[in-house]
Amino acid sequence: MSTVGETLNVLHPLVEKYLRKERMPHMACSGCGIGQVVHSVLLAIDELGLTPKDTVWVQGVGCSSRITYSTWVGDNVDAHHGRMFAVATGLKMARPDMNFICFTGDGDCGAIGGNHFIHACRRNLDVTAILFNNGIYGMTGGQVAPTSPVGAVTTTTPYGNIEDPFDMCQMAVAAGASYVARWRSTDFKALTNSLKKGIQTKGLAFIEVLLQCPTNFGRYVLKSSNPQDVLTWIKEHSVTQKEAEKLSKEELTGKYLIGEFVHRPERTGIVERYQEFLKTHQKY
Amino acid sequence: MPSGVIPGKYFVQGDEAIAEGAIAAGCRFFAGYPITPSSETSETMARRLPEVGGVCLQMEDELASIHAVGAASVGGMKAMTISSGPGISLKLEGLGWGIKNEIPYVVADVQRAGPSNGVATRVGQGDFYTIRYGSAGGNHSIIALSPKSTQEAFDLTIDCFNLSEIFRCPVFLLTDETVGHTRELLVIPEEDELKVVKRFKPTVAPEKFVMYPLNTPGVINYPFPNIGEGYGICVSPYTHNSKGYASTAQDIQEKMARRLVLKVTENLDKLVRVESQKMEDAEFAVIAYGGNARPAVAAVDMAREQGMKVGFFRPIIVWPFPDADVLKVAEKVKNILVCELNIDGQLSREVARASKGKAEVFHFGSGGVEPHLPAQIFNEIRRFYK
Repeated sequence: MSTVGETLNVLHPLVEKYLRKERMPHMACSGCGIGQVVHSVLLAIDELGLTPKDTVWVQGVGCSSRITYSTWVGDNVDAHHGRMFAVATGLKMARPDMNFICFTGDGDCGAIGGNHFIHACRRNLDVTAILFNNGIYGMTGGQVAPTSPVGAVTTTTPYGNIEDPFDMCQMAVAAGASYVARWRSTDFKALTNSLKKGIQTKGLAFIEVLLQCPTNFGRYVLKSSNPQDVLTWIKEHSVTQKEAEKLSKEELTGKYLIGEFVHRPERTGIVERYQEFLKTHQKY
Repeated sequence: MPSGVIPGKYFVQGDEAIAEGAIAAGCRFFAGYPITPSSETSETMARRLPEVGGVCLQMEDELASIHAVGAASVGGMKAMTISSGPGISLKLEGLGWGIKNEIPYVVADVQRAGPSNGVATRVGQGDFYTIRYGSAGGNHSIIALSPKSTQEAFDLTIDCFNLSEIFRCPVFLLTDETVGHTRELLVIPEEDELKVVKRFKPTVAPEKFVMYPLNTPGVINYPFPNIGEGYGICVSPYTHNSKGYASTAQDIQEKMARRLVLKVTENLDKLVRVESQKMEDAEFAVIAYGGNARPAVAAVDMAREQGMKVGFFRPIIVWPFPDADVLKVAEKVKNILVCELNIDGQLSREVARASKGKAEVFHFGSGGVEPHLPAQIFNEIRRFYK
């Protein structure tokens, strides 16, 4: 049997190429889905030929961000809780020539940072935002999230959650993001392709990933810390858009729709518009 | 790139002078949220920044604007935001991010009568401690300059930008509605007469550069590499080691906290900015700051006309508080009258602390809306003058 230290001697080639080895091992719990998503992100970056010189990783606060922060071999900018989109706005407007890969969580983006999320979509800020949706507050120990299902027992809803979950993809579509999609952590190929498409799309690409949190969602909501049980729950509670066409409204209740919701590359955003605007108004 | 400074004589408000000062200092990013009595700065920036190729954004709230400003500075642009009381309360959330990551930018606070919404259009001076201690967690210094006139609003805004680069931290311009809305003469000098500090850049290779100099906490004029310059910087809300990596170690926390305090307190000689009038033979001192310094000076003149030996002292830098200079005043006079636009006594509390019992300190406060009248201050001088 190998120890953790021995295992680390063999790093994934994408980790070797793009992540800071001194920051490994990462902080994710066993069975967490974040590693799967980061794998897709690194593959998309690799296949598109982005480099640490032209690409910055931006985070908020929560598992999505604490685990990925300061791992990228280029520049890393981690915001206060909820302020990822505000920080990304300042960064992108200062350096419109650079790519920004932004990581956020369901609490970071859907609760404390909800207003910044809406307005980043409205401005159609040209960054790629990946929402890690585990349906619960993981970093703080299993409190109810705006994405937790109705009835979910968490550490702050001991009698069950009475609030409806927030569909952030619908919000992103309504508020004006150029590209919006939702996948599961197990949709490796679709997610990777979607990330590539999102990064290449001008304007805001908002990609939500439903991922397993055995430590908190499993433990409190499903009463099982087995990652497989959480993955099964996600599978049972999600349908592709194609599958959804055959289902009744009742059958779709409580189900996550999976797939691409909008791709409107023709829609301009604040970055391009500001550059155009300066052509008219800059005097000095 | 030409700076877009337009020299000349102008008849403008203090708020407009702040915007011109910012542009002259090289500010190229502004993000704000409308709030009286600071909106004239945002409006001037919205007109002027595009002319010089800068970015001006009206954000969805105060939180977004201060975070975008901090981020734009990390991106390489000199940046600024502005607000007033209720907005400053919100901005304090983002301020900690700037303080901890040592990000240079400027925040202007045009104080109005509080608490809460208070009187939006009228003067107050209640944010003196808010800007110093409002950012949760302690373990940091704050630099804040306070102008008394339109001209000073311009000059000190440039000074704030320079200090933010020298000390690698957010710097406050603590002004008030009186200065913000007073329309008077502003002289913008020729560009080559302005002293503008550029961002310090690393002269060593990325692998040798120390992003956060935790082992030399008092060092200033320290480089800040921006994103895209090959230095692989790490900026975060967490206690960081010298690379910017998050740490929970007690010794790292200790070093980081000392760095954020000592870089200011070990360089106080670079920060002396005070004004004295008629202090040579004074037996009684009047102390005031910002717009309320104007009636205080007038009241001192009234007292002098009556043959009373009264002098005037003003902290232009309000944080770090000029303890040594206030102590010199206290050693010279018997009594000090502190005039400020709050009832709770903020500046007067600092004056009393810095005086170390060498003089008796009296607080003359008002809840705001109107600045003090010279006659009101003169009456107080007569009450306590011995």
